[in-house]
Amino acid sequence: MTVSLDGVSKSFAKSLVLDDITDVFADGEMTALLGPSGSGKSTLLRIIAGLTPLDSGRVRLGERDVTSSPARERHIGFCFQDYAPFRHLSVFANVAYGLKVQRVPRAQRKARVEELLGLVRLEDFADRYPHQLSGGQRQRMALARALAIKPEILLLDEPFAALDAQVRGELRSWVRSLQKELGITTVLVTHDQSEAMEIADRLVILNEGKIEQTGKPSFVYDHPSTDFVAGFLGPITTLWGISYRPHELELSLDGDEGEKATVTDVIRLGFEVRVVLTNQTGESSWVQLTHDQAKALNPSHGQRYVVRPRSARGLIEQGRTKQARS
Amino acid sequence: MKKQSLLLRVLVLAYVSALLGIPLLFVFQQAFSHGWSELWTALHDHAMVLAILLTAKVVVVAVPLNIFFGIGASLWIVRRPSRLSHVLDVLIDVPLAISPIVVGLILELAYAQNGWFGPALAKLGWRVMFSLPGIVIASIFVSLPLVSRQVIPLLREIGDHQEQTAATLGASPIRIFFTITLRSIAWAAAYGVTLTLARVIGEYGAVLIVSGNIALLTQTLTLNIGANFDNFNSYQGFVGALLLAFVSVAVLLVIAVARHRLERKRHDSFA
Repeated sequence: MTVSLDGVSKSFAKSLVLDDITDVFADGEMTALLGPSGSGKSTLLRIIAGLTPLDSGRVRLGERDVTSSPARERHIGFCFQDYAPFRHLSVFANVAYGLKVQRVPRAQRKARVEELLGLVRLEDFADRYPHQLSGGQRQRMALARALAIKPEILLLDEPFAALDAQVRGELRSWVRSLQKELGITTVLVTHDQSEAMEIADRLVILNEGKIEQTGKPSFVYDHPSTDFVAGFLGPITTLWGISYRPHELELSLDGDEGEKATVTDVIRLGFEVRVVLTNQTGESSWVQLTHDQAKALNPSHGQRYVVRPRSARGLIEQGRTKQARS
Repeated sequence: MKKQSLLLRVLVLAYVSALLGIPLLFVFQQAFSHGWSELWTALHDHAMVLAILLTAKVVVVAVPLNIFFGIGASLWIVRRPSRLSHVLDVLIDVPLAISPIVVGLILELAYAQNGWFGPALAKLGWRVMFSLPGIVIASIFVSLPLVSRQVIPLLREIGDHQEQTAATLGASPIRIFFTITLRSIAWAAAYGVTLTLARVIGEYGAVLIVSGNIALLTQTLTLNIGANFDNFNSYQGFVGALLLAFVSVAVLLVIAVARHRLERKRHDSFA
């Protein structure tokens, strides 16, 4: 089911949190709302769920206008960042909660809960209580609980933020494959650009309550339309006052087209090597080399190189032209 | 270090027993000083039995009202904060800050025959002063914050994400209240209720003024005990005190259990 936002605005105590947001999240897609804290992304998610009222604009789920419907009538699965487990209920009862509300008969309810616990691999934890689960298990319980009512839309607020790095990586790819398997329209809020790039079909980048850019992760990464997006999605460096991705710059020992510069620092991060250079007028750029490139060049402090971009046009310039064409 | 901490423990225990333990033992010793049959007779003292019944009536009305008010006010203050609810949040502590005798005087000012509401209520045929309603109002007033002061911090701590999740699962506000909110705050509320119970049974000053302290009519158990001491009938007073002591021990036990459960709930950390 699609989610359509039409001119959604929201203020809290006179400060504008969302400013005229219009967008459509396609059926069956995983959309990531990406932005720094305070960009309004969580508020937008809560507005879609009906947990926060909007000031103006419309929210449609498929053909249905739900702008004035309360959360309980929207039939949307929602997971909070803290997973909000019902602390006094067992894992089984947590997952069964929505089915009980729908008055699903006991036998059917049991079968459905067992099916869901199998799906999130918590079969053996049905009788446990939330405080006896690990963070990752709690998150999977919250997902099962949200999926129990068979929603056509799933909203996840910073779903991996509270987990440690290893569990986070595993859960990300698991959630991704589960979402594809179920084909459920999913909107996920995150401030972590690598998470958004990895998991989402489409990015919606928010800054100060406005949409900066939308599109496929790889496209937006290569063709950011604003400096904000360029800097938020990945590293940028400047040469002749133009922004480039550091891997788009190359180094050579001689050549005419390019800027002559001296190496001032070499940072080795295992798989990548960062070379910082400064030209005669004191402007500095940095170049990202792969391990192999660095081996061939063997840059060291004080060495002189010619720096030039692989492509004639800068990052933002490319993005704007492509955007205009598409 | 160990010796010091041992000394400290002995000092604390000595201090507590001097303040609480020894006087309590004295009450027991006095109440049993005339033997079992005397005690049996004293327990059937007409004025005291009526006083116990009156106290029971006050408890039955005042405690449930304070549960409703305490939980309702807590929800309003925490979940629907507004300027008005902030005012309530401050006002709710007033009964703790002022002396019960002043509470009694304020109520007299309001409800006496020449008070603010007294004449209007008298026209309707209602009498508040020197009767059960007055005693109930005074009891409610002095124990007003005891439930909400337990419930408010817990409500703040658990937040509203569980309630909102229940809403997205289709639950109505009433269902959410009974299946999520009330279940979460149950032990805190129970703790508050036992405190309220203890306070209502033990209240003296405010009730003394509004009830008029009329034997056989408006005398609660505490007033009855006081009256017996005043009338040089201290044995009967000690018997009443013995009953109160039993109630207190029972209440303390319930408080201990509720607090233990509450601490455990809080320690089920979700970090």
